[in-house]
Amino acid sequence: MRKTGSFVLVMGLCIGLAACGQPTETNVTPQAQKETIALFTKNQTNPYFKTIRVAAQAAARAMNVEVVDYIPTKADSIPEQMSQIEDAITKRPSAAVFIPVDSKAVVPGVEKFNAAKIPVVNLVDRAEGGEFVSFMGCDDYTVSLETARYLLKKMNGKGNVIIIEGMGGSSNNTKRVAGFRKALEEFPNVKVLASQTGEFQRVKALQVTENLLQAHRQIDGILAANDAMALGAIEALDAANRKAMVIGINGTKEAVDAVKAGKMLATGDCDGFLQGCIGVMGAVRHLRNMPVPKEVIFPITVFDSTNYQGADIPYESRDCPPWEKIVKE
Amino acid sequence: MKYRLIGVALLGIALTLSSDAFLTASNLLNVLRQASLIFLSASGLTLVIVGAGLDLSVGANVGLSACFAAAAIKSTGMLSLGFGAGVACGMAIGILNGVMVTQLRLPPFIATYGMLWMLYGLNYWYMAGDTIYGFPPEFRALGSGNWLGIPIPVYLMLAALLAGGIFTRYTIFGHEVYAIGANAEAARLSGIPVGSRLILSYTVSGAMAGLAGVVYLARLNSAEAGIGDALLLPAIAAVLIGGTSLFGGSGGLLGTLIGAIILTLVLNGMNLLTINTNWQPLVTGVIVLLAATVDSFTRRRSESRA
Repeated sequence: MRKTGSFVLVMGLCIGLAACGQPTETNVTPQAQKETIALFTKNQTNPYFKTIRVAAQAAARAMNVEVVDYIPTKADSIPEQMSQIEDAITKRPSAAVFIPVDSKAVVPGVEKFNAAKIPVVNLVDRAEGGEFVSFMGCDDYTVSLETARYLLKKMNGKGNVIIIEGMGGSSNNTKRVAGFRKALEEFPNVKVLASQTGEFQRVKALQVTENLLQAHRQIDGILAANDAMALGAIEALDAANRKAMVIGINGTKEAVDAVKAGKMLATGDCDGFLQGCIGVMGAVRHLRNMPVPKEVIFPITVFDSTNYQGADIPYESRDCPPWEKIVKE
Repeated sequence: MKYRLIGVALLGIALTLSSDAFLTASNLLNVLRQASLIFLSASGLTLVIVGAGLDLSVGANVGLSACFAAAAIKSTGMLSLGFGAGVACGMAIGILNGVMVTQLRLPPFIATYGMLWMLYGLNYWYMAGDTIYGFPPEFRALGSGNWLGIPIPVYLMLAALLAGGIFTRYTIFGHEVYAIGANAEAARLSGIPVGSRLILSYTVSGAMAGLAGVVYLARLNSAEAGIGDALLLPAIAAVLIGGTSLFGGSGGLLGTLIGAIILTLVLNGMNLLTINTNWQPLVTGVIVLLAATVDSFTRRRSESRA
């Protein structure tokens, strides 16, 4: 019994190690000294960051560099990202593309990069300190403002809505909810019945929606601060045989499919694929002394039943667009 | 036992007085359906804790089992296979936990804490940031369907409660687990096969987590690696709020049911009353402590009277 137990354990560890080894072992050529880019994403669970990692590899192919991933095992862990920054610095990458798990808390980590003279591109969420080659991202406030406007127009500017917020205290949530609120101000005949937190989680959003459906007879629209929560809300509506127009943020493939199936109204997005591409390209261009603007703000798309085409192509088979097409000087 | 219901009753009365929507058949069924998910994952855990053990891998187990079941259904189209794969995955994890605790003699906290991280790792690797979604309606009925007007997960919860109740009260095995929890050495000396009983209790915990994973999947119509992350602490909290002692030897499933209902009522009440999001964690903490205080107070009085 003891033997079988430890055997399975060892097997498990082998699988685990093999899995961790995979992404970094690709693209190593012995002859040329390739530039290496350390890419920091927030977690392994959100498909959005997976898209960014896939795009970064596409950019690595296009520019002939190596991209090494640093992902906290515990989602969005501040201490883990801090220690991964230290690990990365000891390996001396040519540059880093950095998505902070928290806009304030990891600033000392950025300063370590600066002290080690490793150039850093700040991607997706703006860090509130440290020196960066460039900030590239999209503005959460504008994405949610545009997406909410789209819903409220579809509702002909009247009816009842609920807001499902993300994690309290997180900066993207604050910006997204502010965007929703701003759009709602523009449509005074739409009434907000409740604004409750779903903590960015599908199951919590499902339960919150179920509870709110109990309290309110007529709900015409649901504004969710991310796609996972929007999809949780849709499950609750389905189970209760109720109808409402639902919007989310992120443009994940699952949400786009729900839009296609007519279950979800729209999802607002700053293309993660584009961000992964341009982030890595920007870092490499800086290393090769090519111009990189101090700030790149990506265009916003609201995917609805008319324009989802393109968003449903699997990311693995996409190539990065040329830099000049996206970044206008 | 009846004293333990006082916390729930007070909470129920307060909500009835403050919201019209609370005391309706549809909302009460809604609460039971939400509680059933916590209960299913906490039911096997109750048995482990009664035996003076601990299973921290419950949430991660729910996540991996759900993803495993999702992959089985997607690749074969067979619903029963997916169901079986989810429960078997959970069960296998439970057996490993039991073996680590009894054969390798690891403290339950360490063994299942290590397991938790291994399961996260396996699941992240396996799912690689993807989501598996879109299941047939017959499968989704398991999580969101009704039979005779009552949600199907509620039947599963009642079945688990009944089976567990019979098991702990009327079988020798059940009594042995309580005896082991109260004093493992005394149990060993009186001839109880402690090791195999503990392995079985971890196996039940794993299998129930696997079942909860399948029901979760059916409910959400979607599986992602982080699906069970938020479940660990509520599951342990439901067991402990329900009066099962972390030191083992006392408590039971009916208490866990009450614990699960209290935790569910808190969220339900906050949503019905639209309490400001920023205050919700604080309110949750206060209500949980109040419920536990009422419970411990009434229990002490009933014990001293008896």
